[in-house]
Amino acid sequence: MSQKQRDLLELGRLEYLQALVTEFQVTESPEAKEQVLANLANFAYDPKNYEYLRQLQVLDLFLDMLTEDNEILVEFAIGGLCNLCLDKTNKDYILEADGVAPVINCLSSSNEETVMSAVTTLMYLTTPQSRQQTTALPVVECMLRFSLSANRRLSNLARIFLEDYCSPVQVEEARNLSKHTAVGIPLPKD
Amino acid sequence: MAAPGDGVGGVCKHHAQQDVCDSRAKYREGRRPRAVKVYTVNLESRYLLIQGVPALGVMKELVEQFALYGAIEEYNALDEYPAEQFTEVYLIKFQKLQSARVAKRKLDERSFFGSLLHVCYAPEFETVQETREKLQDRRKYIAKATSNRVHFVVKKIQEPKKTVSKNSEHDFQPETLGFSAADANTGNWDPSACCPYPYQPSCEFSSRNTACPSGGHFQRVLAFPQYVSNCAETSESFCQSKPLTQSAQQRGYTNTPVSLVLQRKVPSDNGIGRFMPRTTQLQERKRKRDQGNQIDLIGIDSDSSEVIIGPRLPEIPKVDMDDDSLNTSASLIRNKLTEVAVSVPKSSGEKPEDTQTKPPIKQRRRI
Repeated sequence: MSQKQRDLLELGRLEYLQALVTEFQVTESPEAKEQVLANLANFAYDPKNYEYLRQLQVLDLFLDMLTEDNEILVEFAIGGLCNLCLDKTNKDYILEADGVAPVINCLSSSNEETVMSAVTTLMYLTTPQSRQQTTALPVVECMLRFSLSANRRLSNLARIFLEDYCSPVQVEEARNLSKHTAVGIPLPKD
Repeated sequence: MAAPGDGVGGVCKHHAQQDVCDSRAKYREGRRPRAVKVYTVNLESRYLLIQGVPALGVMKELVEQFALYGAIEEYNALDEYPAEQFTEVYLIKFQKLQSARVAKRKLDERSFFGSLLHVCYAPEFETVQETREKLQDRRKYIAKATSNRVHFVVKKIQEPKKTVSKNSEHDFQPETLGFSAADANTGNWDPSACCPYPYQPSCEFSSRNTACPSGGHFQRVLAFPQYVSNCAETSESFCQSKPLTQSAQQRGYTNTPVSLVLQRKVPSDNGIGRFMPRTTQLQERKRKRDQGNQIDLIGIDSDSSEVIIGPRLPEIPKVDMDDDSLNTSASLIRNKLTEVAVSVPKSSGEKPEDTQTKPPIKQRRRI
């Protein structure tokens, strides 16, 4: 058994996550911060951890990191949100905390993983109530551009977004709008 | 190194093997050295890209290796994909995402005909429909997993109880046995005792990190103490309901050495407030005992006094100090403590039972 596993058993899952959160909070090292955030974001993939992550307010932690200057922190945080936002409780919490706006902001990141996590997160956060926000006109316009991207993963995601989450009327409207305005959100760099 | 992702067959950034991270804190180290990376549903795929396959005409063997982990739908060599000299690149499409996951985990960095394979997901080969299905599958999986959770938690609460009572029948060896009980138990304690504390650090955090620009977060954080008190209430009621059943009663006592072991261990690791919880938990238990003292006595009186006291007695030789005079002083102190411990509850009522039930408490104080 590896050291980590033994520690996990010893401390228990919650305590282990707690230790991560604490390290994230107290560390001065940007590197450690990134590592721990990546850890937490990967833990957010497994539904078994959701209860603990909520208890430790990791959702707030992720949301806060979306506005960081450090691109890597943003990438990991939106990845974490993308991983846990399908759960009903988490979804409600994020919507309640006005999480949609910072997620939309991630669409203009130059980091492709950030952009893709943001697109998926927006899909997963779409509910009858939040639809207006998640498929606002600028977002739809952005997806139109992404759907023409040479990056197959991104164009696939954008097409799904347009086809499954937007009405034809919305898409048409966005299409007309983007005809007039040449400048939009830039495509992510590779 | 990453050419602009020109569609299918191109080199993508996420194909490149990232540098392994060698600056992880010890407790975060995994079994295998890994890079710092976050996996999301977007990065996963039923398509696996295999680089570093020696150009020896071993496609059949390669596919056979991968087929061990699930049915393969398609496979082909990617001739146009830039490869190192004398190696080839292959694409394998599994029928199920789970197979691809396992295959990647098992075969990445595996030696294959003298060369190390590099296996990564290749979601850019997915069609729109395949990506759509992948996203839907994740949706279904989460819906299923989170609806099952309730049962899961309930099971967890009941199950460890058994392990503990089993332990109490054994002769108790506090260090080793107690520890495994603690491991099995974490799930059991959590709902009752752990609830109140996880918020504490974030409280600390909010006061410490006031430099952080986002105001919304703190409002949200500030809202929590209310929640904590709610939690504390629920946990208390949880504890109070416990003494009613006798097995739960035993649990309370037999757990004691475990919690002691933990308590001893924890502060040495880290002095920060994050492990307050254990103390909180002990206090919780102490309060519970104080409150439910009468019920306690009844519970033990009925028949379990032997079971509880029995296993505890062998602990005493553990404190043997290898010196007669030290032992004499120790037993003096012990007797003194018994007197004190006995005299206090006497005032609260019951007499004969006290002498039986108090020894465990006395010992806890001593340690």
